[in-house]
Amino acid sequence: MSGRPAVFAIAFLAVFLPLAGTAFPLNSKEAPESKGDLLLIRDALQEALPQARAATVCIDLGEGTGSGVIVSEDGLVMTAAHVSTGVGKKVSVIMPDGKKLKAISLGLRADVDAALIQIQEEGTYPFVEVNQTGDTKLGDWIFSLGHSGGFDKDRGAVVRLARLVRIANNTIQTDGTLIGGDSGGPLFDMEGRLIGIHSRVGPQLPVNMHVPMSVFLESFDEMKASEFIGEGPFAQLPEKGKGFLGIGTEPAEGGLEITKVGGGSPAEEAGLKEGDVIKTLNDIELVKLDDLKGMLAELAPGDEVKLEIVREGKNEEITLELGKR
Amino acid sequence: MRKSHLNWVKGSLLRLIFVFAVSLPDLWGQQSLGSNFRMAGEAVTQVFEPQREVIQKCSAVLYDGRDEIAYGVVVSEDGYILTKASEIEGIDDMSVRVDRRSFKKVETVAVDPVWDVALVKVDAEGLTLPNYAESSGVELGDWVIVNGATSRSRRRILVGVISANSREIPPAGGVVLGVQLKENDGDLEIKDVSEGGGAEKAGMKSGDIIKMVDGKDVGTIKEIAEALEGKNAGSMVKISVKRGEEAIELDVTLSVRDELFQQQTRNDMMSGDFSSHRSGFPKVIQHDILANSDTMGGPVLNLDGRVIGMNIARANRAETFAIPVEELKVMAEKMIEQAGK
Repeated sequence: MSGRPAVFAIAFLAVFLPLAGTAFPLNSKEAPESKGDLLLIRDALQEALPQARAATVCIDLGEGTGSGVIVSEDGLVMTAAHVSTGVGKKVSVIMPDGKKLKAISLGLRADVDAALIQIQEEGTYPFVEVNQTGDTKLGDWIFSLGHSGGFDKDRGAVVRLARLVRIANNTIQTDGTLIGGDSGGPLFDMEGRLIGIHSRVGPQLPVNMHVPMSVFLESFDEMKASEFIGEGPFAQLPEKGKGFLGIGTEPAEGGLEITKVGGGSPAEEAGLKEGDVIKTLNDIELVKLDDLKGMLAELAPGDEVKLEIVREGKNEEITLELGKR
Repeated sequence: MRKSHLNWVKGSLLRLIFVFAVSLPDLWGQQSLGSNFRMAGEAVTQVFEPQREVIQKCSAVLYDGRDEIAYGVVVSEDGYILTKASEIEGIDDMSVRVDRRSFKKVETVAVDPVWDVALVKVDAEGLTLPNYAESSGVELGDWVIVNGATSRSRRRILVGVISANSREIPPAGGVVLGVQLKENDGDLEIKDVSEGGGAEKAGMKSGDIIKMVDGKDVGTIKEIAEALEGKNAGSMVKISVKRGEEAIELDVTLSVRDELFQQQTRNDMMSGDFSSHRSGFPKVIQHDILANSDTMGGPVLNLDGRVIGMNIARANRAETFAIPVEELKVMAEKMIEQAGK
């Protein structure tokens, strides 16, 4: 299922598009001309909302939240790079009913604010269709969803009806106001197909920017393969050698003995104690102080490390995530 | 522990994610939709002319001198108008405009502090009343129309949709009396009285010893927190204090903690203007229309031109709250009756 549902569908659409002809009628008018036109907009919105809202999730990184949208039955989520912030990060995806699911960030485009996240718990998830035709144009009616200001189960994902007011290569602008927490949330056409992901706002209310689907489709395989693509400004590659463990050690029999554990350090949080002897780090034996130094120089903040230790004569294994120096 | 009420609720504000773009090089020189055709543009709003005519007649504009400070809903032909109480509090030089008529003499005759609604009276005859919708039974995505801007003679409208589930908005950070307390040998002593809070308005003084809340003994900060838990912002509690040798009873209106202490989040900084009182409402409907603190208090219409609610708070850049019509109707009747007594 996860494969590339996107690309197979392109072939289908190419065949059926001329027959389908389902373009939203109000998009061919400069502005609504009658109450009937307004009802067409309302009806289209209300038809699309239940599925769109069911697939709009909150992404919880512990110290902040963003939004995302599920695009496949097995839980592939599209979001912004500045929400996922990196590759291989553990995050939580909060479903509309408040259920928290374990997920992991896949690849991202740091240059244009696009990223993928995969829900890791097995299930059949509500998802939305991606508009792969790139047929959206200036003035089209659209709607935004997102967990504005954070998750609120009673409120649900917040809707904004708006028009598409600017288009550039890697950015769509609409006049539906976004706020913190909406980042990474979905932008839809009136048929409920995904056309963009919320990225950023300008100082004025009508300036709200989204990353178009073309960016996601262009880099889909690479992002799916957990590649970190491009350089900032939306995400930074973790820097090697900046990983922080927070211990002082001395060579001892069987490895390195911990002589000091920093307050609030990843080591303390993981339960390491003075007197513990570290035998191995990621299965490599530690004998000299330089062994540990050398290994940390190759690791970055956020990397997971496995330690084999001896505590009061007993072997134990501890895994922890390196902090940032 | 010698902790003030500031610590009753841990101030762990969510850090919310958003990039705030100041310049937009991506979009420079690109084709863009004329402002006339955007959501707030005339080309879009002109099709709502029948609803605009209702706004023209039934949405009052309240001024402080020449500045617009709030809108209001006309609720009687002889000049009763509902508006947002906290926006007109303490304004001396208030005037009101309804349609093309201006009223210089305005009296605040009743206030509902829980809903933050004031009833004002102007000397008028034959004002037009709006029609109320039978219920605010709105659905997500329904069109809504509000007063968006005004000139002396003409009201302009803004349009949008119902944007979230109707619900209660609990007071941000809980409710407080507006005092700093210390526990002193089993006594609950007021160390400091916060400016603008209910305690100050009720005349509480530092040095007062709090003995009871609504007739129930309290001796610790925890007990007073428990006594206030679940109460509405704007509701009143009876506080028994000992001042020197004297026993005094004071009626204190509860404040919203985060509003009293102006806790600002990062989202507030990017929100632009928002209402200073924007939480602690028993029930609201929510819409996505652009607004600011000066445009609250006016009617919210549905596509049939009927009132489904009254704007009560611009919460942030993306969210505006309105009082549902059921509650609004009851409030209008009750307050007019109260004012007539």
